[in-house]
Amino acid sequence: MSYTRRYLLTCLGYASGLGVGLRPAALAAAASAPDDAAAVLRLLLDDRARARALGASYRAHCPAESDPAVLTRLILAAVAPHGGGQRPLRRELLLPAFDRCVRDEFGAGSTVRLDGWILARTEARLCALCE
Amino acid sequence: MFVDARQLPQDMEVDADICIIGAGAAGITMARALSGGNRRIAVFESGGFDFDVDTQNLYAGDVIGYSYTPIDRDRLRFLGGSTNHWQGSCRPFDAFDLDDWPIGLDVLEPYYRQAQQVCQLGPYSYDPQQWVDAEARPISASSADSLKSSLFQYSPPTRFGTVYRDELAAAGNLTVYLHANLVAIDTNEAASSVTGVEIACLTGRRFRARARHYVLATGGIENVRLLLNSNRVQKSGLGNGNDLVGRYFMDHVYVPKAATVLADVSSPEVRFYDHHLVRGHPIEGFFTASDELRRTKQMPPFYIGFRVPTTALAELGVDRLPAPIRGLLGEGVAQNIEYYYSRTTSSLQLPAKWLYEKMWRTPPGTFVTCYCSGPNPDPQSRVTLSNTVDVLGLRQTQLDWRLPSDFEQDMHRAHEQLAQLLGRSGVGRLRIESSATGYDPMQDVVNAHHHMGTTRMHDDPRYGVVDRDCRIHGIGNLFVAGSSVFPSYACDDPTMTIVALALRLSDHLKSLTS
Repeated sequence: MSYTRRYLLTCLGYASGLGVGLRPAALAAAASAPDDAAAVLRLLLDDRARARALGASYRAHCPAESDPAVLTRLILAAVAPHGGGQRPLRRELLLPAFDRCVRDEFGAGSTVRLDGWILARTEARLCALCE
Repeated sequence: MFVDARQLPQDMEVDADICIIGAGAAGITMARALSGGNRRIAVFESGGFDFDVDTQNLYAGDVIGYSYTPIDRDRLRFLGGSTNHWQGSCRPFDAFDLDDWPIGLDVLEPYYRQAQQVCQLGPYSYDPQQWVDAEARPISASSADSLKSSLFQYSPPTRFGTVYRDELAAAGNLTVYLHANLVAIDTNEAASSVTGVEIACLTGRRFRARARHYVLATGGIENVRLLLNSNRVQKSGLGNGNDLVGRYFMDHVYVPKAATVLADVSSPEVRFYDHHLVRGHPIEGFFTASDELRRTKQMPPFYIGFRVPTTALAELGVDRLPAPIRGLLGEGVAQNIEYYYSRTTSSLQLPAKWLYEKMWRTPPGTFVTCYCSGPNPDPQSRVTLSNTVDVLGLRQTQLDWRLPSDFEQDMHRAHEQLAQLLGRSGVGRLRIESSATGYDPMQDVVNAHHHMGTTRMHDDPRYGVVDRDCRIHGIGNLFVAGSSVFPSYACDDPTMTIVALALRLSDHLKSLTS
């Protein structure tokens, strides 16, 4: 199975706006850890227009990553670095994996500043997927 | 007992062992600590029991440096001093905050413990882990983090003039003279010893007081004014042989909205940083530099707190009525309204915040940060005398407050560290505000109303006005109490340290007069 942009966005709640696109399993994962980064991320992205604006800002900041396919590959490589792109990754695992990835990036200082927001690089890439 | 100085005979002379000028946090603390024994204590307070416009106007002065609250509005001049409108946040300095002081935390800590009771606080503990409950806990920081969590405890807040008034009235060998303004400090010809002080009332009555020891406890600007005006013998001002009196003026720089934070409001790790009760004691968490960052002095002392946006804007709020309304009401009525407004808002901080949230429907999970910093002491930041003379014949002050050029850069650095901590811990995300985001925090920079450093403490008279015992160098019997003796500062409200130092000075004076 290959991971498309639409699949990623759906799993992480972007496809139809804030949290609405989250599938039940992902919602359950978020509910079980209400203070995790993903739950907070939904707050951040409550405003879809803002997510798009941040994404546009990221694409302008890193034009080499403007291609959705490139972004998807980079996100998956960060979220599932040990072959997640080659083997099926269940939707309910993607959210916690993304959460771990983002926290690790903050810990390592791998952040970007977009319109004043300081975001982990991978979540910034995720915004960039939200055209 | 209390005496209305306006009723005293003209030219009488008060005789005491210790004469304290000023009845704010420091003066009242010393009066309480020193009374009850054989020593005769005389306290001279400019105001009465309540706010009075004419007395308050004696604080008037000019601001010539960075924008600053008008001087006559920054302090209160009646029994209890500025504790009549303080908000009550308390925290002792850390050991490394006292690196530039001639005394360390080992010396101050016993007095901090007493100050804890004087300020009506909870248990003497400032370790965040001791304040964890089911509702609130600090974000766990690792040793690699540049920030750590800390906390303020909140005093009720103690209005010293109200809470301790009956005790002062009943204390033996203690007389508090109200409406009594110090207008001159007289010395011998060598300016090595104070021989008496001259007191004046706004009604025109004047008299003198003599004591073995004198304590100036009138605040970080007024202490300077009194010393510089007392220039009959030492022409540059008393204690000012090295041109240090008034220099190194410090105040915390306060930015009410430095960044926006999105976080889960229901999370215990967010609630810790809001004003809340733990076992009945009000506390508020905040973020500050890690011990390592502070020890190596890579950043000035600072704290970052969370506020709901409307409350933060309210902090900027109506501290001065608009000119047309002032004209309509008259200056005296306007000042009274402003005083009661400031006192009420400080007392109703929590209910007001609740009201704002309800009224303005603040989006859940949206906060702003407030940033409070104590830049390094700067000798060019100073209080001097202007050529304007007040109704008692004293020259007024002018204040030249300086901000370091790297202030904004430091503020952004601190917030970058906070953004990383919030992200790593999964608590939230942060946006650093700047002119590029549409709101420039620097346009709303204000002072925190803490006057410090102008008679700084140092063992060497070339670098300080007072010695480690708070005695003015070169003058055997003149002492200073209050935050003007701070040679450096932390990010904390100075009141608790003012009280601790006043208690320590009281012990010292007891030893000199026993």
